[in-house]
Amino acid sequence: MAETAPVARSPIAPVPPTTVEHGWEVSARRSAAELKITDCTPLAKILVLASTDGELARALGVPFGRAARGASGTLVVGSGPGEWLLLAPPGTAPEVMGCMEEVAEEGLASVLDATHGRALLRISGALTVALLSKVCAIDFAEEVTPNGAAIRSSVAKLVTDIVRDDRGGSRSYLLHCERSSGQYLFDALMDAGDEFGIEVDGFVGPGI
Amino acid sequence: MILLPCPYCGPRNVSEFRYVGEVSERPDPNETGVEGWRTFLYTRNNPSGWTTETWFHRAGCRQHIVTERHTMTNEVRVSRLPEAQLRGGQEERATGGNIASDGGGATY
Amino acid sequence: MTTQTVPKTAMSMRLGPRPGEVIDRGREFTFTWNGDEYPAYRGDTIISALAACGERIFSRSFKYHRPRGLLSASFVDPGCMVQVDDEPNVRGAHRRVEPGMVVSPQGVWPSLEYDVKSANGALGRFISAGFYYKTFIKPRRLWPVYRRMLRRFSAGGKVSPNSAQGYFDKRYAHPDVIVAGGGPAGMAAAVAAAESGAQVLLVEEEHELGGHLRWGNEADLEALRGLRDEVARTPGIEVMTNSVVNGRYDDNWVAVMQRNLPHVEERLVKARAKTLVAAPGLIERPYVFEGNDTPGVILSTAARRLINLYAVKPGTRAVVFSANGSGDAAVEDLGRSDVEVVRVVDARMGGDVVRVKGGKGVRSVECADGTEIECDLLVTAVGWTAPTSLMNMAGDRPVYNEKAARFFSSYLPDDVLTCGGIAGDGTLGELLAHASATGGEAARRAAKSARRLRGGSPQATEAQDPESRTPPEEIPELPVYEHPALFRGRTHGIVDFSEDVTSKDLVAAEKEGYDSIELVKRYTTVTMGPAQGKLETVNAVAIMAAATGRTIAETGTTVWRPPYAPVTLGALAGRIFEPVRYSPMQPWHERRGAQPLVAGAWIRPDHYGDPASEVLGVRKNVGIIDVTPLGKFDLRGPDVPRLLNHLYVNKWDNLGVGAVRYGVMCLEDGVVFDDGVTGRLGPERYIMTATSSGAAGVWEWIDNWLQTAHPEWRIHITPVTTAYASINVAGPKSRELLLRLTDGVDLSPDAFPYMRVRTGRIAGVDGCFMWRIGFTGELSYEIHVPAAYGLHMWEALMQRGADLGVGPFGVEAQRILRLEKGHFIVGQDTDGLTGPYDVGLGRMVKLDKDDFTGKPELVWQSGRNDRFRLVGLQPHDGSLVPPEASQIVQGKSEIVGRITSSRMSPTLGRSICLGFVAPHLTTPGTKVIVQLPHGGRIPASVTPHHAHYDPEGTRQRG
Repeated sequence: MAETAPVARSPIAPVPPTTVEHGWEVSARRSAAELKITDCTPLAKILVLASTDGELARALGVPFGRAARGASGTLVVGSGPGEWLLLAPPGTAPEVMGCMEEVAEEGLASVLDATHGRALLRISGALTVALLSKVCAIDFAEEVTPNGAAIRSSVAKLVTDIVRDDRGGSRSYLLHCERSSGQYLFDALMDAGDEFGIEVDGFVGPGI
Repeated sequence: MILLPCPYCGPRNVSEFRYVGEVSERPDPNETGVEGWRTFLYTRNNPSGWTTETWFHRAGCRQHIVTERHTMTNEVRVSRLPEAQLRGGQEERATGGNIASDGGGATY
Repeated sequence: MTTQTVPKTAMSMRLGPRPGEVIDRGREFTFTWNGDEYPAYRGDTIISALAACGERIFSRSFKYHRPRGLLSASFVDPGCMVQVDDEPNVRGAHRRVEPGMVVSPQGVWPSLEYDVKSANGALGRFISAGFYYKTFIKPRRLWPVYRRMLRRFSAGGKVSPNSAQGYFDKRYAHPDVIVAGGGPAGMAAAVAAAESGAQVLLVEEEHELGGHLRWGNEADLEALRGLRDEVARTPGIEVMTNSVVNGRYDDNWVAVMQRNLPHVEERLVKARAKTLVAAPGLIERPYVFEGNDTPGVILSTAARRLINLYAVKPGTRAVVFSANGSGDAAVEDLGRSDVEVVRVVDARMGGDVVRVKGGKGVRSVECADGTEIECDLLVTAVGWTAPTSLMNMAGDRPVYNEKAARFFSSYLPDDVLTCGGIAGDGTLGELLAHASATGGEAARRAAKSARRLRGGSPQATEAQDPESRTPPEEIPELPVYEHPALFRGRTHGIVDFSEDVTSKDLVAAEKEGYDSIELVKRYTTVTMGPAQGKLETVNAVAIMAAATGRTIAETGTTVWRPPYAPVTLGALAGRIFEPVRYSPMQPWHERRGAQPLVAGAWIRPDHYGDPASEVLGVRKNVGIIDVTPLGKFDLRGPDVPRLLNHLYVNKWDNLGVGAVRYGVMCLEDGVVFDDGVTGRLGPERYIMTATSSGAAGVWEWIDNWLQTAHPEWRIHITPVTTAYASINVAGPKSRELLLRLTDGVDLSPDAFPYMRVRTGRIAGVDGCFMWRIGFTGELSYEIHVPAAYGLHMWEALMQRGADLGVGPFGVEAQRILRLEKGHFIVGQDTDGLTGPYDVGLGRMVKLDKDDFTGKPELVWQSGRNDRFRLVGLQPHDGSLVPPEASQIVQGKSEIVGRITSSRMSPTLGRSICLGFVAPHLTTPGTKVIVQLPHGGRIPASVTPHHAHYDPEGTRQRG
C-alpha cells in the first residue's frame, strides 16, 4: 500500500518556520546570538551495553565520564559504567549499530537504537556556564569538567546527561534526557537563558 | 546537604541519591520462617556511629553503592561497590573524597 | 493624612559634608513617609533620610506599642521595620530610599503619634512572660475571638495579595573560599586567599565593603581606600554587597542571599565552598535599664554611622555612657557635629546610668551619682556581641570569655576559619595581619579539598600533584582585650526590643522554674523576634545567669540556627522546577481539546469530552488510546528467565518466542508491587511492561537485584518507555483497522492469537511491535511505534479508521472499560498491605519455585483465610455510584470492607464496583452495606466474578 513517507518529530515543538531535514521536522531558524540552543534530537543515538574490560570497551576507547570523537566523526560518550552512547548523523543508526555488532565481544553485549527514546539539545556560547549554573549543581569549571567531560546529574530536577563538546574553541554542551521530558528541559533552559539572550538555532545536518 | 562520594562519579550532592538502607544479609527464603524473614525486613541496627548502608545513585551512574557513614558527623570513610560485585573479583575503588585522610574533621 | 507636594520638613538635622559620607548631595529627591513628603539624598537609607528631617519615631513596639526610634541604625535595628509600598517588614535602616517610595509605619492604629494600644504600656506589668499562654487559654470557644483581637495588636506589615510577581532566582556556585563579611578583616582575607590562587566569593551585608572603617576617622578611611583598591585589583574575587551568608550546612553547603542585582528581587546562591571564612565582625550590645527603648537612646555605632555615613546629627544635647573606644570615638564625632556633649559617663571609672525619662523622646538621664541631666540623646557603648551563627552551624559551641566579656569559638572544623573581631582584638594592623594569614590558609585548605574532589571524579583533569603538601600558614594569635562586663544596670528595662521582653520577664520566668536559657527563650520569646538574638542574646544570658546565681559560662547561650538574616519566601521558592512528561501525540490531544489529567509527571488525556460515549465506541466499533506512559523495559541476555522467575510470582521458563504473559510482582514483604505483561521478541530479547506510575520503581528495583544480589546474571536492562509511542487499538473492529495499515504481519486469529507479540511495519514505520492483550475486554492490539513517528501513527489510525467509527478514548474511559471487565489497578484497588491471594491471583503464585521475592511471606499468606479479599460489588440501586473509599459496614459502625473502584457503566447501564470485604462476606450473592461518606447507607451484592461484563472473556480472544 502507498504510504507517504512518515515525518519524524522531536518531542520539542520546533520554533517556526519549520523545514524537514533528513526526514525530521526541524526549526529553520538561524541565530548568531552569543548563547544558542539547538534541538539535536534528529541525531542517531546508539546505546551500547558491555563489560568495561571487553573487546567493545577497547574498540570504543572511551571510559565512563569522558567523551571523544571516533574515527568516523561519531561522538562516543562514556555515559555510564559499562554503558556508551554514540551520537552520529541522522539516519546512520543502522550503520553504526552494524559496526558495533561486528566487534567480537566475548561477554554479553547489547546494541540498541535509542534515537527515539531521547531528546538531545545543544547549547553553545561562553554564557553556557552561567546558564547551567542556574539549573545544575555540577561545577563547570575548566579543571573539574574540561572539554570531553561526560556527566549525568540533575538539570532542573531532571536526570540529564551532559557532555561538554566545545565547538571552534567555544564552550558547547550536549544535554540529553529521556524523550518525554524533552520539552520540559528545553523550556527550563530557555527560561534560565532568558537573561543571557538565549536564541534558538535550528538543526542542520550532519549536526555532530 | 552532604556530599556523598560515589565510587564511579566522585563526590555528588546527596540529593542525587536515594537512600536504600542499612546493608543486611538476605536470608535463604527456603530456610527462613516468616518470623526470621520479618526481622530481615523490618529490624535495623540504627547505630549512633558507623553504619554500612546502600545508596542508589539515581541521578548519576544509576549504580547501587555501599558506604560506611558515621551517623553523628556524616563522615563517609568508605564508598565502594556492593558486596556481591566485590565477590565477583572487582577491586574496591578509590573513593572520591569525604574521607578524613588528614586534617581531622575535614569533610572533603 | 494628605499627600503634600512640597516637603513638609527640611533636612534640619543634616550636617555639612563628611569625608566618608555615602550620600550624593547632588541628587536630591522626595519620598513619602506616613502620608507626608520628605526630602532625601541618593545613598540615604529610609531611616537616615527621616532622621535628617528630625523624625525620631519609626514604629510602635510589638507588645506594649511603645514609640520606638532607631537603636543600631543597621540592618538588624528592631525599631526601624517599615512597610515600603506593598512590601512588609522592610529593614528601614538598611534599605536605601528611592524617589517616590511610599513608606509607612507598621501595626499602628490609628497613627504613629497617637497609638491607642500604647495603653498596654501602662498595663505592662500584666503582660509578663507567658501572659498570652496563661490568659487566653479558657474558654476554648473564645479562641477565634482572641485570635482576631490579638492579631490587631501584632506589629507586622501588610501583605498584599495583588503584589506584582517579582523574579526570584537561584543559582549554584563552587567557590574555593567564601568570606562572610566584607569588613577590613574579610577584605584582607579575601585578598590573601585570591593571591594564593583561590576563587573567592566575598559577601557583605551592607551596601559597601568596609565594615566599621566606613564610619571611622581619617586614618580608618585611608585604610579603607587601600583595602578597597586591593580587592578591586586582585583577580579572582567576586564581591556581593547587600548580600548575606545565611547558612552553613554539612560539607560547607553555604546559602548566600544576593540582593544587589538589577532585575532580580533576590537570588539564592547555593554554594559548595571548599572553605568558609567567617568575618562577621562584632555587633554592639544595648544596655538594659529603665527607659532604654526611649527614642533617643542609641548605640555608639549608630551615632557614628549617622554622623559619618549620612551626615545626620543624632540629637542636640547628648550624654554618652562609654565603656570602650567606640564610645570615646562617638564623643569625638558628636563634638565635631555641633552636638553638645553635656556629660560623658565612663563605665571604666565606675560611672553608670540608671534610667532615662521621657515618652516619645529622651528628656533626661539619671546617673548613678544621683544627678539628672536634661538632654535629648543618650549614646551607650557597653560592649559587643560576637555573631557566631555560622560557627554554630558548623558545630561550634562558643564559650564565654570573662576578660573580654564576649563569646569565643571553641571548635571549628577544618573547612571553617574566622578572622576579625570575632576571632580576637588588636590594632587594625594586627587584625589585618591575622586576616591575611587566615585567608592564605583558607586558600591552602581549599586547594587541598579541590585536589581531593577532583581525584574522585572521572571527568576532571588529573591533579598535577595530588599529594603536594604545602605547609600550613602560620596564623598569628590575636590578643584579647579586657572589657567591663556590662549587661543590665540597676533598673529593669527592655532586653528584646523586637519582642518587647523585659529583664523583669526573664527574672519572673526563672522564678516560675524556667531555669535553662533554652526554656526561657521559648517561654518568654526572648531572641525569637526579627533581631534573632543579634542584639539581645548575651544580655538575656547574663540576666539569667544573675537570676540563677550561675556564671555566664555556666548558663551558656542559645544555639544560632539558619537563617542568619530573614529570608523572603520568594527567594526560597525561586524558580520552580517540576518536570512534566508528554507523549508524542500530545499536540493532537491538545488540538482535540482533551481534558488533561496529571498522572505523576505525565500529562495525559483524561477524556475528549464524553467518556461514556468513548466507552461505547470501543465496545461497538474501535477506539484508540495513548498509553505511552506504560513502563517498558528492553531486557536482553541468557539469564532473563531467571530474573523474571525471581521478580514475578508466576513461572516464566517456558515463555516461547512470540508469546506474552501477564505477571504480578510482589516485594519482599509479599505485597503486590506492580503488574504487567512481558513478551519474548527473540531468543534473548524481551520487553517487560510496568504500570505508568510503577515504572521508575520497577526499573530501580531490577537494578537493585542485578547490582547487589545477582551481578553474575547476564542481563542488560534498558528503559524504552518513551522510545516507543504506545497505542492501544481496542474494539471489535480493531483487526479490520490494523489490516489496512500493517505490512507483513498475518493478523488472522490463528496466526496472531490472544497473548502473542509480533514485530513489523505499520503505517510505513519500521521497527514496531504489537501484542494482543485485553485490558478493555475487547479484541485489542497494543502497538508500540518508534516514538518520533507516534503522531504520524495516531493520525494514520484516525484517518484510515474513519469509516469504521474509530475515535480516541482517554484514561477515564479506559478505567470504566477495565472496571466493567473487573481488572484491578495496582495502587487503586490494592494498597500497602494487599497480597496476590487477596486479589484472587493465588493460583498464579508458584510456591514450588526455588526463590523469588517475598516467598516466605507468600507461603504465610497462602495458608490464611482471615484476610480481606477483593470482590466485585453491585449496588442494588443501579443508579447510585458509591464514591470510591466508601466504607462497607456492619452493625452500628464496624468496618468490614471498602469500595476501591466505582463507576457508572455505560455498557451495562448501571453502577459497578470493586471492593475489599471481610472473609465472611466473600461468597457471591452476599449482601453488604455501603456507608456513603455524606450519610446514608445502600445495599450491594457480591458478584460471582470481578468482571461485570463478559466474564468468560470471549470478546478479547476473538
